[in-house]
Amino acid sequence: MLTENFPWLSFIILFPIAASLLIPFIPDKDGKTIRWYALIVGLIDFAVIVYMFGSFYDFSSSELQLVESYSWISQIDLRWSVGVDGISMPLVILTGFITTLAVLASWPVTLKPRLFFFLLLVMYGGQIAVFAVQDMLLFFLTWELELIPIYLLLSIWGGKKRQYAATKFILYTAGSSLFILVAALAMAFYGDTVTFDMRSLAAKDMALNFQLWMYAAFLIAYAVKLPIIPLHTWLPDAHGEATAPVHMLLAGILLKMGGYALIRMNVEMLPGAHAVFAPVLVVLGTVNIIYAALTSFAQRNLKRKIAYSSISHMGFVIIGISSFTDLGLSGAMLQMVSHGLIGASLFFLVGATYDRTHTLMLDEMGGVGQKMKKIFAMFTACSMASLALPGMSGFVAELMVFVGFATSDAYSVPFRVIVVFLAAVGLILTPIYLLSNLREIFFGPENKELTAHEELVDAEPREVFIIACLLVPIIGIGFYPKILTQIYDAKTVALTARLRDQRPGLGEQVVSESMAQLFDAKPLQAPAIAAGRSL
Amino acid sequence: METIYQYAWLIPVLPLAAATIIGLGLISFSKWTSNLRQISAGFVVFMIGAAMTLSFGLLWSQLNGHAPYTQMIEWAAAGDFHLNMGYTIDNLTALMLVIVTTVAFLVMVYTDGYMAHDPGYVRFYAYLSLFSSSMLGLVISPNLVQIYVFWELVGMCSYLLIGFWYDRKAAADACQKAFVVNRVGDFGLLLGILGLYWATRSFDFEVIGDRLQDLVQSGALSGGVAALLAILVFLGPVAKSAQFPLHVWLPDAMEGPTPISALIHAATMVAAGVFLIARMFPVFENIPTAMTVIAWTGGVTAFLGATIAITQMDIKKGLAYSTMSQLGYMVMAMGVGGYSAGLFHLMTHAYFKAMMFLGSGSVIHGMESVVGHNAAYAQDMRLMGGLRKYMPITASTFFIGVLAISGIPPFAGFWSKDEILGLTFAANPALWLVGWLTAGITAFYMFRMYFLTFEGEFRGKDKVVLNQIDAEQLKAVGLNFGPGAMNPKELIMDIAPGTQDDHNHDAHAHASTPHESPWTMALPLVILAIPSALIGLVGTPFNNYFEAFIHAPGEVVETLEPGFHALPKEELTEFLVMGGSSVGIGLIGLTLASLMYFSRKIDPAAIADRIPVLYNLSKNKWYIDDIYYNVFVLSSRRLARQVLEVDSKVVDGVVNLTGLVTLLTGETLKYLENGRAQFYALVVFAAVLGLVIFSGVTS
Repeated sequence: MLTENFPWLSFIILFPIAASLLIPFIPDKDGKTIRWYALIVGLIDFAVIVYMFGSFYDFSSSELQLVESYSWISQIDLRWSVGVDGISMPLVILTGFITTLAVLASWPVTLKPRLFFFLLLVMYGGQIAVFAVQDMLLFFLTWELELIPIYLLLSIWGGKKRQYAATKFILYTAGSSLFILVAALAMAFYGDTVTFDMRSLAAKDMALNFQLWMYAAFLIAYAVKLPIIPLHTWLPDAHGEATAPVHMLLAGILLKMGGYALIRMNVEMLPGAHAVFAPVLVVLGTVNIIYAALTSFAQRNLKRKIAYSSISHMGFVIIGISSFTDLGLSGAMLQMVSHGLIGASLFFLVGATYDRTHTLMLDEMGGVGQKMKKIFAMFTACSMASLALPGMSGFVAELMVFVGFATSDAYSVPFRVIVVFLAAVGLILTPIYLLSNLREIFFGPENKELTAHEELVDAEPREVFIIACLLVPIIGIGFYPKILTQIYDAKTVALTARLRDQRPGLGEQVVSESMAQLFDAKPLQAPAIAAGRSL
Repeated sequence: METIYQYAWLIPVLPLAAATIIGLGLISFSKWTSNLRQISAGFVVFMIGAAMTLSFGLLWSQLNGHAPYTQMIEWAAAGDFHLNMGYTIDNLTALMLVIVTTVAFLVMVYTDGYMAHDPGYVRFYAYLSLFSSSMLGLVISPNLVQIYVFWELVGMCSYLLIGFWYDRKAAADACQKAFVVNRVGDFGLLLGILGLYWATRSFDFEVIGDRLQDLVQSGALSGGVAALLAILVFLGPVAKSAQFPLHVWLPDAMEGPTPISALIHAATMVAAGVFLIARMFPVFENIPTAMTVIAWTGGVTAFLGATIAITQMDIKKGLAYSTMSQLGYMVMAMGVGGYSAGLFHLMTHAYFKAMMFLGSGSVIHGMESVVGHNAAYAQDMRLMGGLRKYMPITASTFFIGVLAISGIPPFAGFWSKDEILGLTFAANPALWLVGWLTAGITAFYMFRMYFLTFEGEFRGKDKVVLNQIDAEQLKAVGLNFGPGAMNPKELIMDIAPGTQDDHNHDAHAHASTPHESPWTMALPLVILAIPSALIGLVGTPFNNYFEAFIHAPGEVVETLEPGFHALPKEELTEFLVMGGSSVGIGLIGLTLASLMYFSRKIDPAAIADRIPVLYNLSKNKWYIDDIYYNVFVLSSRRLARQVLEVDSKVVDGVVNLTGLVTLLTGETLKYLENGRAQFYALVVFAAVLGLVIFSGVTS
């Protein structure tokens, strides 16, 4: 049964969802069985993901793999069509990893645990589906469906202003995603054939004018999700109210959906329009970096501060996507994975801190490091990761984007100089707000006002374990980035080549001769699998 | 000998392993690990000792003329882009490895005594080990990107160590300041690296140098751009080596425990800037503009640091400004093309300044037994005096350091400083004048420090001075809070007794006289005194072994037979004139200091009153910190607040409004106000309905 013909992707999507349906029937008196059940389901699914990619995925191929396609509702030509390639595979792994840790992070949830873990497991499958589906209609549906659990998780378990935040979240994302539907339909009916299949859509030869309209529509939807300024204001509200596990999902995975969809649709399907829009994206990305860093610096609310820092980091993804170089695109992918890990760890620690201080206002904190030494240490490590300290994944990603963009021949030299300069200003702003943040929370003499009514206990082993799990890949990638980049490199290279074809005036990429490789990049060995197995 | 090269990567990895193991222990079994004090310390010291042995082996092999050795692996790749990392061992690396490991080893031995009563003893060793590892990684880096990686890592270790006593507000501010100021430098360095890569497609020092020269000569790249890129790279060393205008972090960094002031902020990390200039020498030397900028930056910094040092009363702050001034000399040497002179001074300075910092730590340790664990008291020279009687080893080693830094022959500093001044004179007499004056000021403030600390009567119980220090502390804090923010009495409660966590070992504070430090602290001082006195002899003009070993890439240096070589007549005259003038001005400084602070024939206060403008300029560090605070700190805060204002009022409002108008007209608003999922369901339902109708119509 466990062969390559097994519907692996469908299994990893549907297994957590199916398992979640059993939650109402599990006998659970003290509220502890459910969480173990959810954790085990999460672990099994993650193990299957790893096994599946390890055994049946060819890392040296840029093709769509593990493809399954079944007709679902033939009247509207809706097909259950899934598959993964280099830009979705790392994100599927990330999803499994972060969501499983989010389940573990939900240990202290006591309010309606059944519903909470049910929603988490539904999210698990829903998120993977977003990254795996290869049918536009299905993509739209999964995109929408994954909003419902988040909406509920926000509005039931959030902070004081949770209703406002949840409503704003749903309005922004659902409202903007209507553009996906419109664009998907328009693209499907364009030309002679009607198809919702992403690969067929990408192969369609569309007029530039039409492409531009489609591009704009998708961009609005994904700019809300990613987010791109000025469509970001839902995010600080949602992040400011969410509980730690939901936070981890929002920052770790949901933001990546915007970046993923931007690459999958705007870049891959509409390369002509991308050539036109890319400079705009670069400008927006630069604005993201600086603007969000400044707002983060001024924020006095801890959760909102870190939320703005996420926005700032997403700016590098946008610039990388628009760089027209292998390195830039690879850096954008790396930044997404890296921020998924770093964002999740920071938000988890913010939650852990809040659990103890019961305040998010920096003015009321200070000096808590004396009692919470381990949380202090972990917070410092994760802040360092977030400010792109070398040796950690964020640095590699930002460096790749920087070098990729600086050497891109798609832009004039003055434009590149200005963008690189401004983006590098972000490098100065990031430590300012992150280290100020650390100083205001942890440094200083013991905070008598706070310790008078709150017991500041240090991290428990579960919390240390979660952060350790996140830091291992962060540092691993930082030490040896090839570990990650080589598993998706084939795809980003192919994608860049396609983009450059579409953009007139770009010759062969000039690469470094001096860095002549001493070792040939050996692709990971994987059983050769014929791609495209339709059933 | 090949084997030792194949295992050279162990040099940074051994301390890293020690730091990792102890760090994991602290996180996982904090109580247990914290109690394993001697074992953890021994482990760390052993690891750095092993790295030191390897380093000596490499230096020996390099001295015997082994060819440079490079080992690389591919680190990052995307498409056709490949970036390799690895290590390279050449003369310069071997020398730096030995300097770093020996100083680190001795500082770690010393730490055992200095931090004996600190609850963070084990954590401190873990940080020290992590720092050593990063610093060693920096010096073996074969390309610019790897240098940048370790460059930031040593910065992070410096951050952790400055903020080691994180319950102190001053330490919290200082560590952040250090990191952010260094990031400003790194910002320039990164832009420079990117620019050079864009121009030359390489991160390799020599390749960049060659190609950049070709590009400029062929006219493909304007000389101005090349100079700009070089200066951007130079911004990195400006921050790391505390050069004007990014020097402001170094004096504040003295909030960290003294062993790290010796290791990081005197001997190794701050010298990394000079090391980077040396590595980038093939690039810089072809760009005259950049060389001029480097030389003058160094000269100005040397002068600035020295002029501030003369009025400092905090012994560590005084040494910090002195370090800044000496780093200025090294950078100036590099700027006038004195590659080996700059590195020679780096080496001699590393030893004598590390020794003096450790000596000041020993003094502070001794003072704490009298005035208690309060940095404001224990480090203030007005409370010291006469310590030579109580701490003879500290005093005599410190005196050797003073002689070395003041350029008195035959101590180490004389040879290196003389070489720098000689080269500077040949390149630019105006710059030489600055350096020469600085040499005089250096002798003055160093002897002032020595006399105030070790000679005269012990003043540790002087109530007048104690009150004066309290008043100054209050004023400093008061400035931060603004006038009338707090009742001064409350502030006394807050800061005067030092930090509260120290009360557990305040029991020491009842002795009436200071005592000599334990052997773990005294022994490193004695060992460091040997190179401080003698190491200058490897670089005398009579036979410059140092220059024969360390010289700019591509430069041909005639190899000399061992032994004394008489100089040709004109060179000997030049040496005598240059050396004589610098010793002369040094002696003037010495005499002045002894008149003012030893025999008390001249009253320093009277001079200060005579020239209040200059005195205040020096006392207030040329007001540079205040200017930065008002210009950069306050304005960036204001800007950030304004952006946030705009974000929450304008952007949020406008986008919300647009959303409302376009999406939800009329009836739909009702659902919005309810804020329920029904609205969402409605939207999806409408969309699907629309889809079905649409597909029905079209098919």
